[in-house]
Amino acid sequence: MSDTADGMDPAVKQTSAELATGVDTDTILKTEGITKRFGGLTAIDDVDFDVEAGELRCLIGPNGAGKSTLLNLITGALSPSEGEVYFRGHDITEMDPHERIRRGLSIKFQVPSVYEDLTVRENVRLPIQRLASGAERDERMADALAAAGLSAKADVAASALSHGEQQQLEIGMAASLDPDLLLLDEPVAGLSVDERAEIAERITQLNEERSIAFVVIEHDTDFVAEIADHVTVLHQGETFREGSIEEIETDPEVQRIYLGGETDA
Amino acid sequence: MATDADSAGVLGRFVDAIHGPNTMGESRRFWAAFGVVALLMVTFPLYMLESAVTNMSQYLALTLLALSLAVVWGFTGVLSFGQVAFFAVAGYTYGIVGINVAGPLGTMAGLFVAVGVAALFAAVLGYFMFYGGVSDVYVTIMTLVVVLVLKTFLDQTAGDKWTIGEAALGGFNGMPGIPDLALGIGEPFLVFDDFTLFYAALLALLVTYLGLRALLNSDYGRVMVAIREDEDRTEMLGYDVKRVKLTVFTFGGALAGLSGVLYVTYFNYISPSELSLTAASLPVIWVAVGGRKTLLGPIVATVAIERLGLFLSVNVGDWAFVINGLLLLVIVLLLPEGLVPGLRDLVSWIGDRRDEGGTDDTTEPSGEVIE
Amino acid sequence: MAPGVDLLVQFFPSFAKIVLAATGLAIIFGIMGVINLAHGEFIMVGAYATTLAYNGALGALPLVPVDPIGVLPGAVQLPAAMLTGVLVTALFGLVVERTVISGAVPNWIAERTIGRPVVKPMYDRLLDSMVATWGISLIMVQLVRNLYGNSLNGIGIPFGQFSYGNGLSISTYKLVLAGVAALVLLLLYVVFVRTDYGMRARATIQNEGMAKSLGVDTERTYMATFALGSGLAGLTGALYAPLQTIVPGMGGGFLVEAFVAVVVGGASVVVGTLLAGGLLGFVYALFANVWGTFAGRIMLLVVAILVIRFVPQGLSSLVERIRDRWAEVS
Repeated sequence: MSDTADGMDPAVKQTSAELATGVDTDTILKTEGITKRFGGLTAIDDVDFDVEAGELRCLIGPNGAGKSTLLNLITGALSPSEGEVYFRGHDITEMDPHERIRRGLSIKFQVPSVYEDLTVRENVRLPIQRLASGAERDERMADALAAAGLSAKADVAASALSHGEQQQLEIGMAASLDPDLLLLDEPVAGLSVDERAEIAERITQLNEERSIAFVVIEHDTDFVAEIADHVTVLHQGETFREGSIEEIETDPEVQRIYLGGETDA
Repeated sequence: MATDADSAGVLGRFVDAIHGPNTMGESRRFWAAFGVVALLMVTFPLYMLESAVTNMSQYLALTLLALSLAVVWGFTGVLSFGQVAFFAVAGYTYGIVGINVAGPLGTMAGLFVAVGVAALFAAVLGYFMFYGGVSDVYVTIMTLVVVLVLKTFLDQTAGDKWTIGEAALGGFNGMPGIPDLALGIGEPFLVFDDFTLFYAALLALLVTYLGLRALLNSDYGRVMVAIREDEDRTEMLGYDVKRVKLTVFTFGGALAGLSGVLYVTYFNYISPSELSLTAASLPVIWVAVGGRKTLLGPIVATVAIERLGLFLSVNVGDWAFVINGLLLLVIVLLLPEGLVPGLRDLVSWIGDRRDEGGTDDTTEPSGEVIE
Repeated sequence: MAPGVDLLVQFFPSFAKIVLAATGLAIIFGIMGVINLAHGEFIMVGAYATTLAYNGALGALPLVPVDPIGVLPGAVQLPAAMLTGVLVTALFGLVVERTVISGAVPNWIAERTIGRPVVKPMYDRLLDSMVATWGISLIMVQLVRNLYGNSLNGIGIPFGQFSYGNGLSISTYKLVLAGVAALVLLLLYVVFVRTDYGMRARATIQNEGMAKSLGVDTERTYMATFALGSGLAGLTGALYAPLQTIVPGMGGGFLVEAFVAVVVGGASVVVGTLLAGGLLGFVYALFANVWGTFAGRIMLLVVAILVIRFVPQGLSSLVERIRDRWAEVS
């Protein structure tokens, strides 16, 4: 079933390729039957995962459910055993990660991955220098530093930042690529309540002001409740439930998988 | 001071280009010291014995080999034992062309063909490795194995069968009679031997050093360093990591090739001993001891170690290798960043001690910035 | 018929050399993430210690009243000398491990003088360990040359000749070594699977952090591992002492094969070394048989390059994949 051009949000880009594949043009990311096996272990099993443009989706699930694996399949860090990934209507399954990034994807890793031995300024420069030069580059760098709250620490080595500051830096770097979809793997792990609130605000701001769609992996249900439009629950490599945070929170089956019991689903 | 606005602009841009976080030395003091050393080197033949001058031209040629590894390993994170392979391939190629094509044109052609062949070889090997998903330590091992294959092959090229035109590869014994690099058409008007070679090598080093400074401090250089620090992250910022590594590796091959040609011009001879395990590890030693994340480190270390080696083998004979080995060990254990950064850290530590009174809250980054 | 037999007979020594050269290196690389470029020199130490012991050097040591090897019955003298070689090398390895690899001794001294450690352990620092062990190798070769000159009087080859085919013969000893190589692999397997040390070692390979938190004394495991790897190198040196000229640079003839075999073999020490020995040994024998030793060597290296490129996790990973495929299917 494909949508026609009328009644579409004009801000959403549309190509003939998108119409041709019959993919809903509102859908920015789509996985079809994506599966990943590591030897005898099936980490992701036949997952169909769709994200709309501008949506803020949270991905939750018990440890080992395959959430990070799914993100890695989307970015191309891992190749799927089966299935395809579509981004903005194009099949990106065979593409190298850097090609996907250039199409509007961006990721913040689970383990903090800023360049420890480089200064904050040098860190911020790396994503931006490919996209802008001269005065525009300086401006974008300054904006990125300010948005991460690190303008005063621009010439400090990234290794000297606190954990929360490093998260802010990395989110800032990922966001400065001007992506259409930003994947965040546990952005608030190990942060204080205040720091979490800051990050939540930042994410919401990026989502609303720059129409960036998000897929956020997190465990903190309060955090998820605050930012999410929709939630997907992953369990043992399969999509277990999807819905609003209220629906998920009150679903007894979801509670059961977190507590480790068997479910009927 | 330039009164012409244009040249001030060009000079200014050049000065900007060669300064940045990836190389040492930004202050006036540094450049003053640099100038003094450069002057000492330029006047070297005036106050040193001829044998010292010709030895030094050999060492200068080798610094290019060290720099080729510094660029590939220190700045892009690819430890290659294979730089000597490109060095030797270029040496042999230059020899083959130079012996077969008479006169200075032959040697000039030899230079270009040799560097080209070295670069091509590096490109093919690099493609095979990086686009084949060979990573990290396996790249290192593969480059080492390639060197050994080349050596084993060349070792058995004795005999008439292994002759290209007039040039016999010579097996173990190598290929003698390689002509000096020379400029000219028909009659050479400049032959690179003795003093001329010294100045040619010195000029090549200077140009390479400044050029590399500009490269490393450019956007591209920052990507190289980012790849060294964290390949995956850099790929996820949209950079084609494989292509950068291939390009840098090819360039490193060309630079190693240039070094090979200058070196062969000095000895007029080349043999497979340039491909032994010891020879293959020398660039690694020079760069590791000097400081792999710097340019000056490898330059200084190459000259120092080679000169020390000569001194030791003359005076202390058999203990030269022991001392070399101990040096390597001590550096890697105590100063893993290398001698030059270690010295630089010492200098700034002394500086800090002197400014005991003033407090400075910002942490000094452990990167390459001095001031 | 004859060419086939010839090939087979050539295969055994080739297999033996590769396996025996590689095991010590494989253990240290696999478990500790350290590349020991002095591995060849450890083999050399084993050969030297064996030869010197066999020729009565033990008796010349201070405080030793009589040469212990000399008083043994003739047939046992060589094995005893070999045992000496193994022990000396293992001990030497221990010294190297304590000073350079883990940095324990320099750090102990530093703690007591300037109050902080100065050396970072070499575990998983692949490139740095290469540089450091290369330094050790340079030192060792020259030291041995300075102490013992350019060569030692060798040991005769035991067991005589084995005749086969059209009047060809080979030292029986060389064939015996193939059996020894297989035995070594078997013993290693037993060590890894049945002993306490083996379990700790395997846990540490899998996940060091996890092993530590489960109470495994990883430092002791590393120490034991390095000593074991050194001992195995010493064994190789001891076993090959009768076959080679005892010169300081003899390690070089083993290092390349060892290196290449470890990489081709992959993560699993026993399975990997076995498969690598088999494949590379066969390739060498095949080409050397027809076109001479140079060709054999080149083709061995070329095959290694191909394996590194196309099976980057080594041959043992192929075995894993086959096993997983079976698991998937069933």
